[in-house]
Amino acid sequence: NPIVLDLAYNFIDFPSLENRM
Amino acid sequence: PIEDLFASLNKHIQRSEFEQAVKVADQVLSIAPGDEDAIRCKVVALIKADSIDEALSAIRTYQKSPVDFSFFQAYCLYRQNKLDEALDSLKVQERNSASMLLESQILYRLEKLGACIDIYQKLQKSKIDSLEINSVASLVAAGR
Ligand SMILES: [K+]
Repeated sequence: NPIVLDLAYNFIDFPSLENRM
Repeated sequence: PIEDLFASLNKHIQRSEFEQAVKVADQVLSIAPGDEDAIRCKVVALIKADSIDEALSAIRTYQKSPVDFSFFQAYCLYRQNKLDEALDSLKVQERNSASMLLESQILYRLEKLGACIDIYQKLQKSKIDSLEINSVASLVAAGR
């Protein structure tokens, strides 16, 4: 079968730390 | 102070220094054990550092925190090719573009191509980059 891309990886996000610094 | 640690954590994240980010997240957690941002940063940094076993172990450690780890856990299990467990983990979380995308990748590996194609059809309008590549792959694999 053809290779698929790991597109789910792009949705593994860090939280915004804007108001913690 | 904790603000300085978060500034340092943020700097490492911006520079993609994920091992360093884990260390600083641990420093925050030594001061503030239940800090949800630090917990989330640690798990994400471990995943991005390709330390999937350690990410799963951190998720287990912080299981009782209010952070919803189901997507991260499902992703880690997918990376370890524990596909049925990964699907179970996805079932407990709200369905959104990210969870559907991961579900389609899991179903593809399980060769459940009909279900996989259904998801790609539902995702068409969500404008995810390179979605076509996976969508076409599932159609080719299914011989359509
Ligand atoms: K939890």
